[in-house]
Amino acid sequence: MTTLTPSLIGPELAALGDFDAQACMNCGICTAICPLSTDVLPRRLMRYAALGMAERVRQEEEAVFSCLLCRSCEENCPAGVHITENVRLLRRWLLEHPRRLN
Amino acid sequence: MSGRRIGVYVCHCGGNISDYVDVDAVVAAAREDPDVVVARDAMFTCSDLTQSEIISDIGEHGLDGLVVASCSPKLHTFTFREMAKRAGLNPYEYTQVNIREQCSWTHTDDHEGATRKAISLVRAGIANTKGSAPLQPTQVTTTQRALVVGGGVTGMRAAIGLADTGLEVVLVESQDELGGWVGTFGPMFPHGTVGKDLVARLREDIGRRPSITVLTRGRVTSRAGTYGNYQVGVDADGAHHDFEVGQVVVATGFSAYEPGPGEHGYGAPGVLTLVQFQELLDRTEGRLAYQGRSVESLAYIYCVGSRGPEHAYCSRYCCSAAVHASLRVADVAPTARQYHLYRDMRTYGRNEEMFTESRRRGSLYMKFADDDPPVVETGTDSLTVRLHDLLSAGEELALPVDLVVLVTGMVPRQQDDLVGVLKLPVGQDGFFNEIHPKLRPVETVVDGVNICGACQGPKTSAESIASGLAAVTQVAAVLKRGTADLDPQVATVLAEQCTGCGDCTSACPFGAISLFGSGNGAKAVARVDAAGCKGCGACVPACPVDAIDLAGYTDHQVRGMIDALAMEVAR
Repeated sequence: MTTLTPSLIGPELAALGDFDAQACMNCGICTAICPLSTDVLPRRLMRYAALGMAERVRQEEEAVFSCLLCRSCEENCPAGVHITENVRLLRRWLLEHPRRLN
Repeated sequence: MSGRRIGVYVCHCGGNISDYVDVDAVVAAAREDPDVVVARDAMFTCSDLTQSEIISDIGEHGLDGLVVASCSPKLHTFTFREMAKRAGLNPYEYTQVNIREQCSWTHTDDHEGATRKAISLVRAGIANTKGSAPLQPTQVTTTQRALVVGGGVTGMRAAIGLADTGLEVVLVESQDELGGWVGTFGPMFPHGTVGKDLVARLREDIGRRPSITVLTRGRVTSRAGTYGNYQVGVDADGAHHDFEVGQVVVATGFSAYEPGPGEHGYGAPGVLTLVQFQELLDRTEGRLAYQGRSVESLAYIYCVGSRGPEHAYCSRYCCSAAVHASLRVADVAPTARQYHLYRDMRTYGRNEEMFTESRRRGSLYMKFADDDPPVVETGTDSLTVRLHDLLSAGEELALPVDLVVLVTGMVPRQQDDLVGVLKLPVGQDGFFNEIHPKLRPVETVVDGVNICGACQGPKTSAESIASGLAAVTQVAAVLKRGTADLDPQVATVLAEQCTGCGDCTSACPFGAISLFGSGNGAKAVARVDAAGCKGCGACVPACPVDAIDLAGYTDHQVRGMIDALAMEVAR
């Protein structure tokens, strides 16, 4: 279970740039069209980020960095979400908030 | 031979009939009757082409009676009556015979049997036409006044519309003043028009129209009379009023769903219905706060009281109203986190734009399964909502929030007294039923009683007002002609046979028969009020001396039909 608390990454992402994944309507076209189409890329990754689930995003670090930034998803997004820009912001956030090693 | 000149038309209905019934055999059987001058088949009898052929047959062969063997009389009686009128034939000299719903469709496994049955039915139809007589509709003068029950936006707008057609209007409202729900609302979706302002404008418009009589704290206590001329009793402000009205419009609206104690935490501080939350927003100036504390996060739970076992329908306005409320929150508290927990979003039509805008402005939408609703945990000082979010692969999420808004829908208003007085048709869902949802959306099966607005089922204010204006058109169409034509297929009393026993008066469900004495010791006889009679026939078998006949269904006609049905079909 994940508790969505005020210390979400949402404000942090917003501080980095125009993160707009919350406008997603969850149609899934992005995932259908993605040439990589991993389990999380791109819809679920956008979902975790929009809900501010920091741990989930960290767990999916590899997916974030494997994105080709080809923009196929973005071109076809009916909600007009700039997905590749969001991925760039997530990369930057991951670099600034690295996963702690135990 | 009866000397009648009858035309018989047997329909293929594409193949709906002729795939199972030997139409040629039916036509041949009809021709055997000496009174049948013309008998033909047609691919589609209801088509314009065939209708014009029948019209020319009527003229050419001097037909004085017509039998159309095709589909259910419910479908095309009106069509062929109008056709008969155009040909100069009295429309009641035509008989509709159903050889589709009651023959071909039901006997698809037995072509010979279906054909025999069709022949019998057509013979019965011919016998009925032989006994038919030209009937003229009863014409009544209508009262140029309408009664509108319910003084919300729908009833108010309908009253104004009716007054503008030149009719007098009596507007009855149960509360202290006009306005209804909208009169209590602040900004409404989609454009933020303030409900109270709308109602103030309607009140002014009503005030400027002296032909509208407004009665508040009122209720309708009685209704009697006949089509176009009803007597209604209204109790208002402790006084009783009697009015003559031509038509009635019911616009009594809805009740808001009230969640049960503990339903999604209802009753705990911080758990509000949508209406309560809207009132909070209306009061809010500057900071959004509940009981003195700032609201930083809130969860909307959709479909509370709708689309469930108790109320199966969608309440239609609540998704849009909740999304609109969240946009108002975004205006006063831009950093507030807003979670929308929904089953299906139905911000239909242009309201979709509000849905998109709310997501753009940060509202987060989560979807729960029908059988797995969110749980609201009410602690001493906190509220947490838990759900499995289908948009996050069913992941369980916990949302600590300051406020929970239960997006509640519409339920039918409890008003058994009005239902009893007007005999309103109540549907399974508790709302009133119209005759046809598309083609006759404001008329009811009760003559002279129309319905509009949310008393028919959930509607937005705009939809309610549009339906109120539909009722205006319907009422004006009936009353503005000044007269109304009533169905002439009514009961008639043979005065010389009547013994005045009174059995028929108690058999009549519409109170349309009364006994009249001519004085001087002469016997009393029953008399039927043609305007009040609905032609149901309940009085006919009640008469011990066969002194009542139903025009269009006379004993003579029915006996003829039975004889025809009993004739054997030789094949």
